[in-house]
Amino acid sequence: MNEEKEVEEQSKPLVLEKLEEHHADSLLAQDEARGTVVVVVHKEQVYAVLEYLKTDPELAYAFLVDITAVDNSQMESELMQFDYARFMIVYQLYSFQDQCRVRVRVPVHENDLSVPSVTALWKGANWLERETYDMFGINFEGHPDLHRILMPDDFEGHPLRKDYPLRGRGERERFNFDKQNV
Amino acid sequence: MGLDFVGRGVEETDGNIITTTIDKVVNWGRKNSLWPMPFGTACCAIEMMATLASKFDLSRFGSEAIRFSPRQSDLLIVSGRISIKMMPVLKRIYDQMPDPKWVISMGACASCGGVFDTYTLIQGVDQFIPVDVYIPGCPPRPEDLIDAVLQVQQKITSGASPKGVEVVV
Repeated sequence: MNEEKEVEEQSKPLVLEKLEEHHADSLLAQDEARGTVVVVVHKEQVYAVLEYLKTDPELAYAFLVDITAVDNSQMESELMQFDYARFMIVYQLYSFQDQCRVRVRVPVHENDLSVPSVTALWKGANWLERETYDMFGINFEGHPDLHRILMPDDFEGHPLRKDYPLRGRGERERFNFDKQNV
Repeated sequence: MGLDFVGRGVEETDGNIITTTIDKVVNWGRKNSLWPMPFGTACCAIEMMATLASKFDLSRFGSEAIRFSPRQSDLLIVSGRISIKMMPVLKRIYDQMPDPKWVISMGACASCGGVFDTYTLIQGVDQFIPVDVYIPGCPPRPEDLIDAVLQVQQKITSGASPKGVEVVV
């Protein structure tokens, strides 16, 4: 009996073990996708969890690979999982020390689109958060300069939301060349 | 090249003198020294570079003097996707070119948006700037671009105005 338990514990990834130990309250769910540990974290605690993953000497997930979001508004099964949160913010981290990855997901409701910015942890988060703001309209609180990065400054809407029409709202045919600052 | 304004309504006397009209001489000069302004935004620009390099050698047709200033060029080659953010830039570049000026729309994306039927892509630059010659293809081969330059040359020889010029009769 004891032997079995040991084997079970050994196969559990270190990152999950340590997160359960230090941030058990923040974890909403955990999963594994193609060898990558996936944890779902409440947005109030996401900064603390990411800071812990980065600074803990045993984990050292020092490299922020990407920040993006997913619009689940047309995926009923996904929506139901976390109390109908429309968006899922995704943080990809990589540890050079252990050469492994972890994915942190944060459910965000449509009526409260603000998430704490992680620019204080990673300077590289600046443009990634601007892109996520531009495409999905997620408001990263504490970001030093949150404005559009891909679309023109006078663009209206957030085009990677599922309710944005693929062919746009006529902005590709209409132009006011005098208004644009080139 | 060659003195091809001779023999088309042009008198050649028996000596070393030929007579012609000033338009024909000027057009002959324009035709054989088109200075392109490259507006390369995607893979079509790679083919444009190949066209200008030694293997395909656009300088055989007098168009090797690539100018990166629109004020010094008279042939705009739009090669690649034009997004809604880039369109005002392209329009400004076109406006800065001195008359007479010609425009080649190179490839499917510049001509009609290509496969990118999305919110961010201009579905054909001819909606906003006048285009003289379209090149189909994704991307077109260098031979196609050479053919387009030759068509512009033909247009100049024929005395036709560029698409962007309003002819007042």
